[in-house]
Amino acid sequence: MLENTIVSILLVFLVVAAATAISFRNVLNSVLALSVFSITLAVLFVLYQAPDAAMAEAVVGAGLVMALFLVTISKTRAEEEAD
Amino acid sequence: MRLRKIAAAILILVLTLALVGAIAELPSPDERVSQSALTQRIIGKGVVETGATNLVAAVLFDYRAFDTLGEATVIFAAVAGVVLMFYHAPLHPSAIGLSILAKRSLDVIGPFVFVAGMYIVVYGHISPGGGFQGGVILATLTILISIVYGLQEERRLLDPRFKTALESSAALLFMTVAFVGVFSGEYFLSNLGAGFFRGHPGSVLSGGAIPLLNVAIGLKVGAGLALVFYSMVKKEPE
Repeated sequence: MLENTIVSILLVFLVVAAATAISFRNVLNSVLALSVFSITLAVLFVLYQAPDAAMAEAVVGAGLVMALFLVTISKTRAEEEAD
Repeated sequence: MRLRKIAAAILILVLTLALVGAIAELPSPDERVSQSALTQRIIGKGVVETGATNLVAAVLFDYRAFDTLGEATVIFAAVAGVVLMFYHAPLHPSAIGLSILAKRSLDVIGPFVFVAGMYIVVYGHISPGGGFQGGVILATLTILISIVYGLQEERRLLDPRFKTALESSAALLFMTVAFVGVFSGEYFLSNLGAGFFRGHPGSVLSGGAIPLLNVAIGLKVGAGLALVFYSMVKKEPE
Protein backbone atom coordinates (compact mmCIF):
# COMPACT_ATOMS: atom_id res chain seq x y z
CA MET A 1 0.00 0.00 0.00
CA LEU A 2 2.75 2.40 1.01
CA GLU A 3 4.73 1.27 -2.02
CA ASN A 4 1.78 2.06 -4.31
CA THR A 5 1.56 5.57 -2.85
CA ILE A 6 5.27 6.14 -3.42
CA VAL A 7 4.97 4.89 -7.00
CA SER A 8 2.05 7.24 -7.67
CA ILE A 9 3.93 10.22 -6.24
CA LEU A 10 6.99 9.38 -8.34
CA LEU A 11 4.90 8.97 -11.51
CA VAL A 12 3.38 12.41 -10.99
CA PHE A 13 6.82 13.85 -10.27
CA LEU A 14 8.06 12.28 -13.52
CA VAL A 15 5.45 14.23 -15.50
CA VAL A 16 6.32 17.41 -13.60
CA ALA A 17 10.04 16.95 -14.31
CA ALA A 18 9.38 16.34 -18.01
CA ALA A 19 7.14 19.41 -18.25
CA THR A 20 9.79 21.48 -16.44
CA ALA A 21 12.47 20.29 -18.86
CA ILE A 22 10.59 21.54 -21.91
CA SER A 23 9.32 24.78 -20.36
CA PHE A 24 12.69 26.33 -19.45
CA ARG A 25 14.04 28.95 -21.85
CA ASN A 26 17.59 28.34 -20.66
CA VAL A 27 18.82 25.04 -22.17
CA LEU A 28 21.20 24.46 -19.24
CA ASN A 29 18.24 24.29 -16.83
CA SER A 30 16.45 21.97 -19.25
CA VAL A 31 19.39 19.56 -19.20
CA LEU A 32 19.40 19.60 -15.38
CA ALA A 33 15.65 18.91 -15.28
CA LEU A 34 16.19 16.05 -17.74
CA SER A 35 18.73 14.44 -15.40
CA VAL A 36 16.27 14.77 -12.49
CA PHE A 37 13.75 12.99 -14.76
CA SER A 38 16.26 10.19 -15.38
CA ILE A 39 17.01 9.68 -11.69
CA THR A 40 13.29 9.54 -10.85
CA LEU A 41 12.77 7.01 -13.63
CA ALA A 42 15.66 4.94 -12.25
CA VAL A 43 14.03 4.86 -8.79
CA LEU A 44 10.77 3.75 -10.42
CA PHE A 45 12.58 0.95 -12.27
CA VAL A 46 13.95 -0.29 -8.94
CA LEU A 47 10.46 -0.27 -7.42
CA TYR A 48 9.23 -2.27 -10.41
CA GLN A 49 11.92 -4.93 -9.79
CA ALA A 50 14.10 -4.00 -12.77
CA PRO A 51 17.47 -3.10 -11.21
CA ASP A 52 19.37 -3.74 -14.46
CA ALA A 53 17.30 -1.19 -16.34
CA ALA A 54 17.54 1.19 -13.38
CA MET A 55 21.33 1.04 -13.42
CA ALA A 56 21.50 1.71 -17.15
CA GLU A 57 19.02 4.60 -16.86
CA ALA A 58 20.94 6.17 -13.97
CA VAL A 59 24.41 6.02 -15.52
CA VAL A 60 23.33 6.94 -19.03
CA GLY A 61 20.62 9.49 -18.23
CA ALA A 62 22.27 11.30 -15.36
CA GLY A 63 25.92 10.73 -16.25
CA LEU A 64 26.75 10.35 -19.88
CA VAL A 65 23.92 12.19 -21.66
CA MET A 66 24.32 15.07 -19.21
CA ALA A 67 28.07 15.33 -19.98
CA LEU A 68 27.51 15.19 -23.74
CA PHE A 69 24.72 17.80 -23.56
CA LEU A 70 26.89 20.14 -21.46
CA VAL A 71 29.75 19.86 -23.97
CA THR A 72 27.40 20.55 -26.86
CA ILE A 73 25.87 23.57 -25.10
CA SER A 74 29.24 25.07 -24.21
CA LYS A 75 30.49 24.61 -27.80
CA THR A 76 27.41 26.08 -29.50
CA ARG A 77 27.38 29.02 -27.03
CA ALA A 78 30.98 29.88 -27.87
CA GLU A 79 30.04 29.92 -31.55
CA GLU A 80 26.99 32.12 -30.93
CA GLU A 81 29.11 34.63 -29.01
CA ALA A 82 31.70 34.67 -31.77
CA ASP A 83 29.09 35.68 -34.38
CA MET B 1 -2.72 28.80 -37.88
CA ARG B 2 -5.56 28.59 -35.43
CA LEU B 3 -6.70 25.29 -36.95
CA ARG B 4 -3.23 23.91 -36.46
CA LYS B 5 -3.27 24.82 -32.77
CA ILE B 6 -6.63 23.08 -32.29
CA ALA B 7 -5.31 19.99 -34.07
CA ALA B 8 -2.23 19.98 -31.84
CA ALA B 9 -4.39 20.33 -28.72
CA ILE B 10 -6.57 17.38 -29.79
CA LEU B 11 -3.46 15.31 -30.52
CA ILE B 12 -1.95 16.06 -27.12
CA LEU B 13 -5.26 15.29 -25.38
CA VAL B 14 -5.59 11.90 -27.09
CA LEU B 15 -1.96 11.05 -26.37
CA THR B 16 -2.33 12.06 -22.71
CA LEU B 17 -5.44 9.93 -22.29
CA ALA B 18 -3.69 6.95 -23.89
CA LEU B 19 -0.65 7.34 -21.63
CA VAL B 20 -2.75 7.76 -18.48
CA GLY B 21 -4.69 4.63 -19.49
CA ALA B 22 -1.41 2.75 -19.96
CA ILE B 23 -0.18 3.82 -16.51
CA ALA B 24 -3.48 2.69 -14.95
CA GLU B 25 -2.92 -0.71 -16.59
CA LEU B 26 0.55 -1.09 -15.04
CA PRO B 27 0.66 -3.90 -12.50
CA SER B 28 1.45 -2.80 -8.95
CA PRO B 29 5.04 -3.49 -7.86
CA ASP B 30 3.78 -6.34 -5.65
CA GLU B 31 2.61 -8.45 -8.59
CA ARG B 32 6.08 -9.41 -9.63
CA VAL B 33 5.96 -12.12 -12.25
CA SER B 34 4.29 -12.17 -15.64
CA GLN B 35 2.55 -15.49 -16.32
CA SER B 36 3.52 -15.90 -19.98
CA ALA B 37 5.06 -19.20 -21.07
CA LEU B 38 8.39 -17.58 -22.01
CA THR B 39 8.74 -15.93 -18.58
CA GLN B 40 7.94 -19.16 -16.77
CA ARG B 41 10.40 -21.09 -18.92
CA ILE B 42 13.29 -18.66 -18.35
CA ILE B 43 12.63 -18.37 -14.62
CA GLY B 44 12.27 -22.13 -14.30
CA LYS B 45 15.24 -23.28 -16.37
CA GLY B 46 17.44 -20.19 -16.84
CA VAL B 47 19.93 -20.94 -14.08
CA VAL B 48 20.32 -24.58 -15.14
CA GLU B 49 20.68 -23.80 -18.83
CA THR B 50 23.07 -20.84 -18.58
CA GLY B 51 24.73 -21.03 -15.16
CA ALA B 52 24.04 -17.33 -14.52
CA THR B 53 21.97 -16.31 -11.51
CA ASN B 54 21.17 -12.89 -12.99
CA LEU B 55 18.46 -13.94 -15.41
CA VAL B 56 18.58 -10.62 -17.25
CA ALA B 57 22.22 -11.37 -18.12
CA ALA B 58 21.17 -14.91 -19.08
CA VAL B 59 18.69 -13.50 -21.61
CA LEU B 60 21.07 -10.78 -22.85
CA PHE B 61 24.16 -12.94 -23.34
CA ASP B 62 22.77 -16.44 -23.92
CA TYR B 63 19.19 -16.71 -25.15
CA ARG B 64 19.29 -13.40 -27.04
CA ALA B 65 23.04 -12.89 -27.43
CA PHE B 66 22.60 -12.27 -31.15
CA ASP B 67 20.52 -9.16 -30.36
CA THR B 68 23.29 -7.97 -28.04
CA LEU B 69 25.76 -8.37 -30.90
CA GLY B 70 23.48 -6.14 -33.00
CA GLU B 71 23.37 -3.49 -30.27
CA ALA B 72 27.15 -3.61 -29.92
CA THR B 73 27.42 -3.09 -33.68
CA VAL B 74 25.16 -0.04 -33.45
CA ILE B 75 27.40 1.50 -30.75
CA PHE B 76 30.49 0.63 -32.79
CA ALA B 77 29.07 2.39 -35.86
CA ALA B 78 27.99 5.43 -33.82
CA VAL B 79 31.44 5.78 -32.22
CA ALA B 80 33.15 5.38 -35.60
CA GLY B 81 30.87 8.07 -37.05
CA VAL B 82 31.54 10.58 -34.28
CA VAL B 83 35.29 9.99 -34.36
CA LEU B 84 35.31 10.40 -38.14
CA MET B 85 33.28 13.64 -37.95
CA PHE B 86 35.69 15.24 -35.46
CA TYR B 87 38.83 13.59 -36.85
CA HIS B 88 40.61 16.71 -38.06
CA ALA B 89 39.96 18.82 -34.96
CA PRO B 90 43.31 19.28 -33.17
CA LEU B 91 43.68 19.23 -29.39
CA HIS B 92 43.60 22.72 -27.89
CA PRO B 93 46.42 23.24 -25.38
CA SER B 94 44.49 25.56 -23.04
CA ALA B 95 42.55 22.82 -21.21
CA ILE B 96 44.36 22.85 -17.87
CA GLY B 97 41.60 21.56 -15.59
CA LEU B 98 40.00 22.72 -12.36
CA SER B 99 41.35 23.82 -8.96
CA ILE B 100 43.50 21.71 -6.66
CA LEU B 101 40.46 20.93 -4.47
CA ALA B 102 38.66 19.25 -7.37
CA LYS B 103 41.83 17.40 -8.34
CA ARG B 104 42.44 16.00 -4.84
CA SER B 105 38.74 15.04 -4.53
CA LEU B 106 38.94 13.09 -7.79
CA ASP B 107 42.12 11.42 -6.52
CA VAL B 108 40.08 10.12 -3.59
CA ILE B 109 36.89 9.03 -5.37
CA GLY B 110 38.40 8.03 -8.72
CA PRO B 111 39.69 4.59 -7.65
CA PHE B 112 36.33 3.80 -6.07
CA VAL B 113 34.48 4.73 -9.27
CA PHE B 114 36.87 2.51 -11.22
CA VAL B 115 36.36 -0.44 -8.85
CA ALA B 116 32.58 0.06 -8.95
CA GLY B 117 32.62 -0.02 -12.76
CA MET B 118 34.81 -3.11 -12.91
CA TYR B 119 32.70 -4.83 -10.23
CA ILE B 120 29.49 -4.22 -12.17
CA VAL B 121 31.10 -5.64 -15.34
CA VAL B 122 32.68 -8.71 -13.72
CA TYR B 123 29.69 -9.60 -11.49
CA GLY B 124 27.20 -8.96 -14.30
CA HIS B 125 26.07 -12.60 -14.43
CA ILE B 126 25.42 -12.78 -10.67
CA SER B 127 23.94 -9.46 -9.60
CA PRO B 128 22.19 -6.59 -11.42
CA GLY B 129 24.40 -4.77 -13.86
CA GLY B 130 26.55 -6.02 -16.70
CA GLY B 131 28.88 -4.95 -19.44
CA PHE B 132 26.88 -1.96 -20.64
CA GLN B 133 26.22 -0.38 -17.23
CA GLY B 134 29.78 -0.94 -15.98
CA GLY B 135 31.24 0.27 -19.26
CA VAL B 136 29.32 3.54 -19.05
CA ILE B 137 30.62 4.05 -15.49
CA LEU B 138 34.20 3.54 -16.74
CA ALA B 139 33.57 6.01 -19.57
CA THR B 140 32.17 8.50 -17.03
CA LEU B 141 35.44 8.19 -15.08
CA THR B 142 37.44 9.26 -18.15
CA ILE B 143 35.01 12.18 -18.59
CA LEU B 144 35.62 13.20 -14.96
CA ILE B 145 39.39 13.01 -15.48
CA SER B 146 39.25 15.15 -18.61
CA ILE B 147 37.09 17.77 -16.90
CA VAL B 148 39.03 17.91 -13.61
CA TYR B 149 42.59 17.35 -14.85
CA GLY B 150 42.20 18.75 -18.34
CA LEU B 151 42.15 17.00 -21.67
CA GLN B 152 45.95 16.87 -22.02
CA GLU B 153 46.28 14.78 -18.87
CA GLU B 154 43.52 12.40 -19.93
CA ARG B 155 45.16 12.05 -23.32
CA ARG B 156 48.48 11.27 -21.60
CA LEU B 157 46.83 8.61 -19.39
CA LEU B 158 44.75 6.99 -22.14
CA ASP B 159 45.92 7.64 -25.67
CA PRO B 160 42.99 7.83 -28.14
CA ARG B 161 44.75 5.24 -30.29
CA PHE B 162 44.86 2.93 -27.26
CA LYS B 163 41.11 3.43 -26.77
CA THR B 164 40.47 2.61 -30.42
CA ALA B 165 42.58 -0.53 -30.13
CA LEU B 166 40.77 -1.49 -26.90
CA GLU B 167 37.34 -1.06 -28.51
CA SER B 168 38.26 -3.06 -31.60
CA SER B 169 39.90 -5.88 -29.64
CA ALA B 170 36.86 -6.10 -27.36
CA ALA B 171 34.68 -6.50 -30.46
CA LEU B 172 37.07 -9.22 -31.67
CA LEU B 173 36.82 -10.96 -28.27
CA PHE B 174 33.02 -11.01 -28.62
CA MET B 175 33.23 -12.49 -32.11
CA THR B 176 35.85 -15.07 -31.00
CA VAL B 177 33.56 -16.26 -28.21
CA ALA B 178 30.70 -16.34 -30.71
CA PHE B 179 32.64 -18.50 -33.20
CA VAL B 180 33.85 -20.93 -30.51
CA GLY B 181 30.23 -22.10 -30.55
CA VAL B 182 30.32 -22.71 -34.30
CA PHE B 183 33.64 -24.55 -34.31
CA SER B 184 32.66 -26.82 -31.43
CA GLY B 185 29.74 -28.12 -33.49
CA GLU B 186 27.06 -26.09 -31.77
CA TYR B 187 25.37 -22.90 -33.00
CA PHE B 188 26.66 -19.30 -33.24
CA LEU B 189 26.98 -17.76 -29.74
CA SER B 190 26.10 -20.99 -27.98
CA ASN B 191 27.09 -20.95 -24.33
CA LEU B 192 27.31 -24.05 -22.14
CA GLY B 193 26.71 -26.35 -25.12
CA ALA B 194 30.01 -25.18 -26.63
CA GLY B 195 31.90 -26.41 -23.56
CA PHE B 196 32.38 -23.12 -21.69
CA PHE B 197 33.11 -23.52 -17.99
CA ARG B 198 29.82 -23.90 -16.12
CA GLY B 199 31.13 -23.46 -12.58
CA HIS B 200 28.86 -23.23 -9.59
CA PRO B 201 25.95 -20.82 -10.21
CA GLY B 202 26.46 -17.77 -8.00
CA SER B 203 30.26 -17.78 -8.01
CA VAL B 204 32.34 -15.40 -10.12
CA LEU B 205 33.75 -18.14 -12.37
CA SER B 206 30.44 -19.49 -13.63
CA GLY B 207 27.94 -18.93 -16.37
CA GLY B 208 30.12 -20.16 -19.24
CA ALA B 209 30.66 -17.47 -21.86
CA ILE B 210 28.48 -14.83 -20.14
CA PRO B 211 31.29 -13.22 -18.05
CA LEU B 212 33.57 -13.17 -21.12
CA LEU B 213 30.89 -11.45 -23.21
CA ASN B 214 30.24 -9.05 -20.31
CA VAL B 215 33.92 -8.06 -20.18
CA ALA B 216 33.97 -7.63 -23.97
CA ILE B 217 30.88 -5.41 -23.95
CA GLY B 218 32.16 -3.49 -20.92
CA LEU B 219 35.51 -2.63 -22.55
CA LYS B 220 33.82 -1.86 -25.87
CA VAL B 221 31.21 0.47 -24.39
CA GLY B 222 33.67 2.10 -22.00
CA ALA B 223 36.35 2.76 -24.61
CA GLY B 224 33.78 3.73 -27.26
CA LEU B 225 31.89 6.28 -25.18
CA ALA B 226 35.15 7.71 -23.82
CA LEU B 227 36.23 8.19 -27.46
CA VAL B 228 32.94 9.92 -28.29
CA PHE B 229 33.43 12.38 -25.41
CA TYR B 230 37.10 12.94 -26.26
CA SER B 231 36.32 13.60 -29.93
CA MET B 232 33.56 16.07 -29.04
CA VAL B 233 35.61 18.04 -26.48
CA LYS B 234 38.63 18.56 -28.72
CA LYS B 235 38.74 22.16 -29.93
CA GLU B 236 37.84 22.98 -33.52
CA PRO B 237 40.63 24.61 -35.54
CA GLU B 238 40.37 28.41 -35.28
